[in-house]
Amino acid sequence: MSKYRITVEGKTYEMDVELIGANGAAVQPVAKAAPAVAAPKAAPAPVAAKPAEVGSGSVVAPMPGTILKVLKAAGDAVKAGEVVLILEAMKMENEITAPVDGTIGSLSLTEGSTVAGGDLLFDVK
Amino acid sequence: MDELWQNSIDRLESRREAVLAAGGAERIAKQHASGKLTARERMEALFDDGTFVELNDQITSRCSDFGMDKKKRPGDGVVTGYGYIHGRVAFASSQDFTVGGGSLGEAQAMKICKAMDKAMEMKAPFISINDSGGARIEEGIDSLTGYADIFYRNTIASGVIPQISVIMGPCAGGACYSPAITDYIFMTDYSQMYITGPAVVKSVTGEVISSADLGGASVHSSTSGVAHFVYPDDLSCLNGVRQLLGYLPQSNEDLSLTVPGTPVDNSAALADIVPADSKKAYDVRNVINSIVDAGSFFEVQENFARNIVVGFARLDGQTIGVIANQALFMAGSLEINASDKASRFIRFCDCFDIPLLTLVDVPAFLPGSQQEHGGIIRHGAKLLYAYSEATVPKVSLIMRKAYGGAYIAMNSKGTGADIVYAWPIAEIAVMGGSGAVSIIGKKAIEASEDPAAKREELLAEYNEKFMNPYIAAEHGYVDEVILPSETRSKIAEAFKMLETKDRTLPLKKHGNIPL
Repeated sequence: MSKYRITVEGKTYEMDVELIGANGAAVQPVAKAAPAVAAPKAAPAPVAAKPAEVGSGSVVAPMPGTILKVLKAAGDAVKAGEVVLILEAMKMENEITAPVDGTIGSLSLTEGSTVAGGDLLFDVK
Repeated sequence: MDELWQNSIDRLESRREAVLAAGGAERIAKQHASGKLTARERMEALFDDGTFVELNDQITSRCSDFGMDKKKRPGDGVVTGYGYIHGRVAFASSQDFTVGGGSLGEAQAMKICKAMDKAMEMKAPFISINDSGGARIEEGIDSLTGYADIFYRNTIASGVIPQISVIMGPCAGGACYSPAITDYIFMTDYSQMYITGPAVVKSVTGEVISSADLGGASVHSSTSGVAHFVYPDDLSCLNGVRQLLGYLPQSNEDLSLTVPGTPVDNSAALADIVPADSKKAYDVRNVINSIVDAGSFFEVQENFARNIVVGFARLDGQTIGVIANQALFMAGSLEINASDKASRFIRFCDCFDIPLLTLVDVPAFLPGSQQEHGGIIRHGAKLLYAYSEATVPKVSLIMRKAYGGAYIAMNSKGTGADIVYAWPIAEIAVMGGSGAVSIIGKKAIEASEDPAAKREELLAEYNEKFMNPYIAAEHGYVDEVILPSETRSKIAEAFKMLETKDRTLPLKKHGNIPL
């Protein structure tokens, strides 16, 4: 709201001028009946990069890259979410985790191997 | 009251009862037994308590073929009307599966269109609840034209009023395209959408697939990207619709709701959330939650193209749209689906004057024949187009990596960002050091007596020179290098300054986004 004074043929008027929007409402956002603030969703648990799954326990490379570290071997027991490999790809050390609880069936990759996107990395039975 | 009055009243009451009885107690019980609400119960759940007003309850089919004149269907399988959501008017249709399987004929379509027309005149959101077997075959092409009348209105209303589709049962064939044209699709766990169902798929291709595997909520929210939100049941789903509308304006001429939040500045935590070592991943949603009003982040399409995170949030009570690279998935690289997801979100925000906050940590566009052959050029172009075209306030924060074309695509200064901030750990460059040295230092490395040492030397020089935000700041591509602890206050300050931003596009019919 702005105040203006105008003089017409010697007579002075004071005016309040308010900018209105297309719907005729004052442009200033007015607090209307507010929705409850969105109930805070459970804080998203940090999830490790979830690789595409071939079968229930098969893990394929999400993108082309180089195996930086092999942390588990065939026959090792793993829990879902446990890091099995680190794939260096797209300027990042990507943690590749077990999709399910179980035992690593096959894992023939060594550190330094290169993989293409979609290549089978290991499976968990 | 004389007898004539009484007779007239009785007649009206019996007609009203017939409408409210819908498909009868047996069918309603069946609907409830499958965990679903009826069409009217859904309206009650969608709108503020007691505010739903039904329109055109007496509309019914004029079709007389195949004995249709003997099967009167009160309300013609859909409930329409209006009510209030957070105190603001909204219009809705809700297909009634208990009445003729919710099948869509001429009269049902007319009823839905009338409600849509009212929503447009009132400049209010329109919500379409879908639970229908599909086209009413007895009504032939009049039924198909009914769908066309709805698609047409969806298209004309696009960008004028928010349109939300809620899938709460089957939605097959042509019926899928109205939701697809609208802004957001909500699905319940037991709903399905497909153009051709499992029976047709089997007869044509021989493939045997269940309806859930073909077009269930899980498929559409994670693989196809058709659905934006998935909820386990009707009540939680409709509550989700209400929650979304709480962030949106009534129309392109209205302002979003302001919801005063508790002004908490968690920026101090940011340096602990984001590792300075750019090879280490983190969950960017923790960054978003530390910047925006507490608990206000509402993620859109959270299970699709997870390498980019988009959603609504509030900053000092005002709605903003957030786009952020997710280092946790595919190293945050951009690819076809991420480009599609983000550009559609950006364009929605621009339609409805919702300012955009972009959080950048992007290594590159994902390389590979799969991406190239899938058309990453035209899909990635959508992102550049959407950012460039958007005239809403646009603020960027370059957190860590900003490389090459992907840096330019993520709301860079050149594509019209109003304010670009960077943290001191930011790396803004045309490409990573290793790749760059292999190209620009090739001859020097080959000529050297100790190529490995030469390579290291050049790499160190490149990293020292380019792996920082200061060249970008010196050249004006970054407006200010800020401390993590200053993040929220700087961003809030920028949006406040940008409230009066007035940038218009040249007059044109419409642009030609590379679809």
